[in-house]
Amino acid sequence: MEYTEAELLAVLLSREVRDGEVSACGALSQIPAAGLLLAQELHAPNAELIILNSVFNPFRTSRQFHFLAQRGELGLFFVSGVQIDRHGNYNLHQLGPDPEQPRVRFPGGYGGGLIYYAARRTVVFRTEHTRRSFVERVDFISAAGSTPPDVLRLGHPSKVITPRASFRFEKEPGVLRLDTIHPPHTLEEVRENTGFDLGVSGPVTATTAPTREELRALRRVIGPKMIATGTYAEWARRSLGEEAAG
Amino acid sequence: MGVPYVPIVGLVGTDLLRRRDDMVIAVDPFDGKTRSVVAKALRPDVAVFHAREADRQGNVSCGYEAEAVILAEASKHVIVTAESIVDRLTEKEASGAFIPAIHVDAVAHAPFGAHPGGCAGRYGPDRDHMARYVAAAQDDASFDEYLRACVLGVRDHDEYVERFVPREWRQAARAAGG
Repeated sequence: MEYTEAELLAVLLSREVRDGEVSACGALSQIPAAGLLLAQELHAPNAELIILNSVFNPFRTSRQFHFLAQRGELGLFFVSGVQIDRHGNYNLHQLGPDPEQPRVRFPGGYGGGLIYYAARRTVVFRTEHTRRSFVERVDFISAAGSTPPDVLRLGHPSKVITPRASFRFEKEPGVLRLDTIHPPHTLEEVRENTGFDLGVSGPVTATTAPTREELRALRRVIGPKMIATGTYAEWARRSLGEEAAG
Repeated sequence: MGVPYVPIVGLVGTDLLRRRDDMVIAVDPFDGKTRSVVAKALRPDVAVFHAREADRQGNVSCGYEAEAVILAEASKHVIVTAESIVDRLTEKEASGAFIPAIHVDAVAHAPFGAHPGGCAGRYGPDRDHMARYVAAAQDDASFDEYLRACVLGVRDHDEYVERFVPREWRQAARAAGG
């Protein structure tokens, strides 16, 4: 079955959600929002979802969410960054070699600077997998992949997922390693588009492609649900409808 | 909160922390070993922010953005602009976070006061105006021009709304009784 890049990412993110856990995504997170709802529809019926800025949010105020995460009750969080490096650091602040004269300025790092340390697992997703987004060292560390063992921290990054491949984060020694490649992409292509060592020597496993069941549920149940509830409705109409599916 | 500092989860190892002198890493005084960031309390002289609804006494409903509550509690003086002013607003009617009048010095009626940003529950960001702002922010000369056109060259808030808030938005707000 054919699928778009957004559908592929939504399906891969949904597979990270565990039943019974609290899972969340922040603002401007249409793909994780679709992934969270898809997981609840398919394999995680008892997952508790928090999709900020939507009706899928049990809280009246932002500090309730923040304190839940700080108490260690947030199982999974999805974030994105402009740059991601080999050590699981990511940058959502600014680009350019001189921190005093940034070339571009971004919104900053609430999700990263705080939730990256509080959520039990964080999955970083990025819709662009190129050498400008996957770099040896980010220009500005908004969130650090690792911290010394005596630092108060409740969780770590677990994976990085892109349209070409998935990386897993190894706590020891604190680096990303290529995990699986999404067909039809190749190891050579991933290497060409990643600015750091992939940490693999032999052949790499292929990602299980989105199944018919996953894609059907995404298009026929999740798309309409997002439209009906005003959850990134415009995006869902464009990206998850029967027409988008072709 | 009224305390001099608070411990927080996060920020260790970031460049943000390296650039702040009001946040340092400290050792947990109880276990004697766990390190975390502690942030110095902020005590602003004046806070000014925009809210969805307020009443004449200074009770304010600010929706999901509970940071405004903390901001109001921490600041010595608080000025609130609001989309609409109602006769009486209590915690029961407020949607989301509520700020009791005891924290608020003054309220001002400012429909579309968040423009070109959005005001949750009322209107979203004005994408066209934002694009104009982003283009203007590329260098000092174009930014000066933007300031002259949209800020310094405008007599008051009413004129700003008239000239820069899209007509359909204003009509919709009038139809809704705003």
